[in-house]
Amino acid sequence: MKPKHMLSIVAAAAVTVSLAACAGGSAGGAAEEGAHAGTVNWWTWDEKQAESYKTCLPAFQEKYPDITVNITQYAVDDYFTKLTAGFVAGNAPDAFQNSVEFLDSYAKQGQLEPLDDYIAESDYDLGVFNVGVPAFTYTDDKQYALPLDWAGSAFYYNKDMLKDAGLSEDDVQNMTWNPEDGGTFDEVVARLTVDENGRRGDEKGFDKDKVAVYGIGALGTADYLGQTTWYQFAASSDWTMREPAAWPTSFAFDDPAFTETMDYLRGLSDRGLAPEFGQFTVGDTEQLGSGSVAMISGGSWSATTFAKLPDMSVGIAPNVLGPDGETRVVMSNSNGNMLWSGSKVKQAAWDWISFMGTAECQESAALTSGSFFPSIPSAMDALAADQLDKGVDLSVFVNYAKNDELEPSLAYRNGAELKSELQPLFEAYYSHQRDDDVWQEAADKAQEILSK
Amino acid sequence: MAISTTTPARGRTATGRVRKTGPVRRAGSPAHRGDARLAWVLIAPAVIGFLVFAAYPTLRGIYLSFTDFRVLTPPEWTGLDNLKRLVADEVFWHSLGVTAYFVLLSVVIGMTLSVTTAVVLHRLTASTALRGVIILPFLISGVVAATTWSWMLDAQLGIVNIAIRQLGFDPVFFLGSSRWAIPTIALISVWKGMGYNAIIVFAGLQTIPPTIYEAGRIDGANEMQMFRRLTLPLLRPVLAMVLVLTVIGSFQVFDLVAVTTQGGPARASNVLQLYIYDKAFGQFEFGYAATMSLALFAMLIAITFLQMRLLRADESDTD
Repeated sequence: MKPKHMLSIVAAAAVTVSLAACAGGSAGGAAEEGAHAGTVNWWTWDEKQAESYKTCLPAFQEKYPDITVNITQYAVDDYFTKLTAGFVAGNAPDAFQNSVEFLDSYAKQGQLEPLDDYIAESDYDLGVFNVGVPAFTYTDDKQYALPLDWAGSAFYYNKDMLKDAGLSEDDVQNMTWNPEDGGTFDEVVARLTVDENGRRGDEKGFDKDKVAVYGIGALGTADYLGQTTWYQFAASSDWTMREPAAWPTSFAFDDPAFTETMDYLRGLSDRGLAPEFGQFTVGDTEQLGSGSVAMISGGSWSATTFAKLPDMSVGIAPNVLGPDGETRVVMSNSNGNMLWSGSKVKQAAWDWISFMGTAECQESAALTSGSFFPSIPSAMDALAADQLDKGVDLSVFVNYAKNDELEPSLAYRNGAELKSELQPLFEAYYSHQRDDDVWQEAADKAQEILSK
Repeated sequence: MAISTTTPARGRTATGRVRKTGPVRRAGSPAHRGDARLAWVLIAPAVIGFLVFAAYPTLRGIYLSFTDFRVLTPPEWTGLDNLKRLVADEVFWHSLGVTAYFVLLSVVIGMTLSVTTAVVLHRLTASTALRGVIILPFLISGVVAATTWSWMLDAQLGIVNIAIRQLGFDPVFFLGSSRWAIPTIALISVWKGMGYNAIIVFAGLQTIPPTIYEAGRIDGANEMQMFRRLTLPLLRPVLAMVLVLTVIGSFQVFDLVAVTTQGGPARASNVLQLYIYDKAFGQFEFGYAATMSLALFAMLIAITFLQMRLLRADESDTD
């Protein structure tokens, strides 16, 4: 046979093979609507979760031998753009991690599959989660996600600096706060602050313009929800931000109780106890790690990163107790696991996300990753025990959940627009370009956007 | 210039030939038809590329700018609503002002620095290595440059502010304050683009015949006078091109702002591209974002046209 013929035969064979492969693929996909089989694509933006959920795959495969799961991770900056592009192009993942912020815009446009039927059919018990379920109930009262994790905030402090200031662990573990004199929180922060001459923030002659170590990281930031910053202070009094709690139509930024809190927090910077707005452009772990800040309020997702700061021993303290001396508020948010309404393998995709929502899978993933908190209490306890062995004490967070101090951040409408409109107002206030009058404008803007 | 003398000559012979062979062609020679087909085949990739990647997106963009389009649902025709909204949108006009301020700073500083650098290079050295070094910042990706600069400029921990403090001054909130955000980003942009512009200007300088400078020197002109009276006028076409490119490039600034300040603080650096991006990809208002893009497009065309006319960029003084 001439080489030319050989080539054409090889080419023809290759074409046939690939055609067969195509046919097999599409036939498989189409026939399996509603069956426990097929290829499920699952996306996440967290590279640690992408890795750690792979540990659930062997057990899942044993239970559902006909389902193949592809786990893909995209950086969070591209994630939602890629997801949107996938919805438009018809090749979005069958199941994916999503945040509360985008529940409204995706559900509104019919891209999310309600889970109620699947939950009923497979007798899945939503009661296994202690946090996160209500966040994903949409305005039609349907459930659109299983919670994947939860997060809260706490104070991270430099243990050596605490000792140098003559403060005990007890002092920071039970800080109280009120908007008038700042409570024991204010005392701790002033004590921890040191100027370049070695004078502390509560001593005579303290130079607020030449501060070497700030007692607390900036609490006035652009964040209009204040999850790791101002929210715990404002909400520890009788101020309620959202009206109503689920799918609010207004944010009470014009309430005097809120304004008072903001004045106090901005005052911390003016008094030299906290850095000014814009003084640091790096993250919270870098600020504490640099030694320029003695204590900082940060997210629970950073707990293990703080623990790994070199040559530094970092303690974790709970949020402040409010003016009544006993109210502690921790805003907690959860990410959810959702199904795409355009998926061809919805049943198999449900099999996968409900499997991820079991205590076993959450436990094995959480132990592997160490950075996210599972929404199932037994898995959370296992994670806390495991981290304690590694020298990280997560009891503060475990106690939040046990003492019922978590306040779930429920969904609201038009998150992206709220962010674009409200952030500049917060920034203008904290950089002293605007004063208290900004809050009326913020409340009006929020009301307008929330009820769009 | 060489081109202006040869073009008419070639044109003349071409028309002459056409006249001679004209009748034969009109009769429809098969060879000629074959040429046309081949020609179409040969330019097809370029034509298809243009239609698919330039013409269609532009036309669709224009269409979308008159609609309410949220990607996942089909666009809805809203007529002039988007334009009316644009006129009344304070944030748009503020962003336009911020962008204009950025363009002004980065073009004036950038042009001055790159022309100076090019002239110094041209007069003092022929080293290719040095020319390579000059262009280095241009080769660094915008995101990397922006990230590195924002670390270096951090008010508390950045190396620049540590130096400022050691000189006895108060630290400057380069990217964290409303006053400094845009000038700082403009300087980063100048740092990044200067080398590239300098090399283009440098290439332009090399086309100026040395005899002209000799003549200038014989006439008793000093370096400064030669630069103003000889170099600048002769460089005009090159400078015009660099200017037009810099202006357009500056209007389109995005990556530096997105990485360093995200438009903050308090919208002080919210350039137009960032606002458009946020409306489209953050809030899914693709229709309104298309209207703003179209407005920017129209402004850029007008500005470019004006620049070309004012600078007589298509003419040179070398003839």
